[in-house]
Amino acid sequence: MLTLVSPLWLLGLLLLPVIRWLHRGGRHRRAVFVSSLSLWRGSAVSAPAAGERRPPDPAWRHRALMAALIFVALAEPRLPLQRSRITLWIDDSPSMQTREAQGTRLGLGLAQARRLLSEAGNTDLEVRSLGDPWRNLGGLGDETVATLSENAGPREPAPPPAALLRRDRMHWLLTDGAHAALLDWPGGQPPDRVIEEAGITRNAGLERISARRSPSAPETIDLLLKITNGGTAAETREVVISTDVGEAARSTQRIEPGSSARVSASIGATTRVRVRLEPGDALVEDDSIELDLTPLRRRRVAADSKCPVTLVAAVAAHPALAVAPDNAADVDTTLDCGTGGSVAERATVRVVADRVPARLDGPLQWSPSIAESRRIRLDAEPLQAASALHARPADMVLLAVGDEPVIVRRAGAPSLIETSLDFGAMGVARGPGVPLLVNLMFESALGERLLDRIAIVDRGPTSVRVAPEVRGGAAARTQPGQLPVASSITPGASDLQLSRSWTWPLLAVALAVLLWEIVSLCRQWFRLGGNNAGAAFE
Amino acid sequence: MATSTLIQPVLPSEPELQSFASAAAQLLIERQPRSPGSRAGSRRAGVGLQHFDHRDYTPGDEVRHIDWRQTARRRQPIVRRFESESVADWTLLLDASSSMAVQGAAKWHAAVRIAAAMSYALLQLGHRVGLLAFGTRVLSECPRGRGQHHYAAIARLLLSLQPAQTGERSELGACARHLHGATTVFTLSDFLASDDMRRDLGAMARRCMSLHAMQVTDATETRLRLTGDFDLVDVETAARMPAHATERANVLASDERAAMTVRLRSFCARSGVAFTDWDIANPWQHALLGHLVQARSNC
Repeated sequence: MLTLVSPLWLLGLLLLPVIRWLHRGGRHRRAVFVSSLSLWRGSAVSAPAAGERRPPDPAWRHRALMAALIFVALAEPRLPLQRSRITLWIDDSPSMQTREAQGTRLGLGLAQARRLLSEAGNTDLEVRSLGDPWRNLGGLGDETVATLSENAGPREPAPPPAALLRRDRMHWLLTDGAHAALLDWPGGQPPDRVIEEAGITRNAGLERISARRSPSAPETIDLLLKITNGGTAAETREVVISTDVGEAARSTQRIEPGSSARVSASIGATTRVRVRLEPGDALVEDDSIELDLTPLRRRRVAADSKCPVTLVAAVAAHPALAVAPDNAADVDTTLDCGTGGSVAERATVRVVADRVPARLDGPLQWSPSIAESRRIRLDAEPLQAASALHARPADMVLLAVGDEPVIVRRAGAPSLIETSLDFGAMGVARGPGVPLLVNLMFESALGERLLDRIAIVDRGPTSVRVAPEVRGGAAARTQPGQLPVASSITPGASDLQLSRSWTWPLLAVALAVLLWEIVSLCRQWFRLGGNNAGAAFE
Repeated sequence: MATSTLIQPVLPSEPELQSFASAAAQLLIERQPRSPGSRAGSRRAGVGLQHFDHRDYTPGDEVRHIDWRQTARRRQPIVRRFESESVADWTLLLDASSSMAVQGAAKWHAAVRIAAAMSYALLQLGHRVGLLAFGTRVLSECPRGRGQHHYAAIARLLLSLQPAQTGERSELGACARHLHGATTVFTLSDFLASDDMRRDLGAMARRCMSLHAMQVTDATETRLRLTGDFDLVDVETAARMPAHATERANVLASDERAAMTVRLRSFCARSGVAFTDWDIANPWQHALLGHLVQARSNC
């Protein structure tokens, strides 16, 4: 049976009598002047009440047909399917985990889809998720449903790729309507059917948490939380921050719909922080968030007892490094100043001193591998070398003074950074040179940035949105509890004729009628010789 | 606008007028019934009783008109000429209603040519000719006069006339009080009016000495090129009529026009009015000569 997506447009057909009146009864009709009306009694149109059948008027027929086609097209007629190939696209974004009264949106939507598919009869079905569109999950069996339920999680929703939107298949979309971008399919092709499951419209969730070591207190972690209200009503939540040792902070936040609140807090150094919102809501998944702070811990450096005080002090002052005893086991790197006790399995910074320090001549030359912003502005005056380093072909000279390399990254693993700089002499000069060189060498040795490290978990701005976004209906929608709506048919499949919207074909016919009418009017205009009413006659 | 701007009518050329005048001379030199009060025009040779003068005999002259006394005196055949008694007063009534202005005023232009040719021929024969252009009332008048200079006055008037494009009805009766004395009336009109102007024609026939009616028709005015629904508007009365134009409607209009002509012809025959219908697609000379021949035979 033919169904209409927007049947209200059919009310426009009520304009047909108006068009007819304008043609036959109105005072807006074209007038043709004749010498005497008495000659034309035979062409007089009888009054409608007379019941006499009037001869057809081509212009009236054209215009009535055109108007009818346009209004029927706008009503978006669709024809039912006999048998179809269907791809069911499942929105597995976080909002689909929202708990409705009878289950999660995903679960309810899948049940609805199964019911619709069973009513559609014999269908060739494939199921794909928007989070992993290239994987065909097969039919909508229990196993597929279980897989979808398990894998649905914090993924950014995205429309299906164009390559998978084959025109010989119908494409259904199971979504909650919280993300309008999911309906912006490639090429402007809308889903043939949207199964929408959305009842809950209130939610506040943790969108992002970030942490970094406090610049002023290395043993303190600064936290920044972003809490977003993805619902339609203002929400009040208590933010509880916990660490391994227990609750660390608590605050209350009120968030307006669609807006976000940022909460900052400082906690002691720990390996993990957990934040939760109280009370919880329908979307449990975004009510808590965990952040691993391990990347922010201070790296332990086994410092050689022979190392210059200036150098050890620079390591101790570094916010990401901590000095450990020479024989400590749980260290991350070693600072070797000639005792030879360094363990070969660890990254090492070795200070080589086998001669009397000598002043260096020449300009500083940095390795191209060191970005311009990381290069240290050193005064070459106090620099002295206590050894002559020789760079092998595979080595990388990080810093040279004149022709003499002073910091070399040796090839091989674990990484070894050797320097011939006399830090004792540099310490006399005072200034940031030694700490910055220490940072540079240990960053090179550990292969990571040590300053301004940030740990973050960001779920994205759409992760907490649960309220359906308003959007014009381009496809047949099936709301919860509604009976299935027939989809459209498009010829082209080999053995299975599919349904498509008849809107564009009807509009094309209307356009053809319009062109026909325009051509007729032009011919008439030319025949009449422009605006010459007298030329209405032969 | 009902019609486009009218084009200035073109009068027949001098050779055309002369050719027509010579052809129509014998038809227009006709004994006219003299009614009391009418008077003859200027002295002019013609068919009559009063002696006018003599001239040399030419082959074809009637033998009974030979003046034997003068022939003997001059020793060559001399014939008598008599003062013409067919010189009369003529009044041309020219319909200048809006119905004459449709279709680019084709009917109007044709009627103007007829009026000009008729005036010329009559003036050549010494008749006094006047012209009345009428619509709802007498729109313009050229008093009766004779001579070639009078033709120039009539021609100027004809060239200056333009029928109103809308709103001017045909009221032939309006000319009645402008007709003085015994005069022969020659009416040029499409006769598109209520009762086909028959009432006015009857009244005019009783008032004047002789009445001629030439119906000017244009076959194209009953052939609409449009099809479909629209309003027909009467250019004279501005009455609107919803119509549906088809080929059949054109046929019915032509039939209605033919029926109207039949009614008019029948009425004129009963009333002693010389009537001719002329489709302007035909040459005006043939139409006018045909009319005069028919009128002469009726007399």
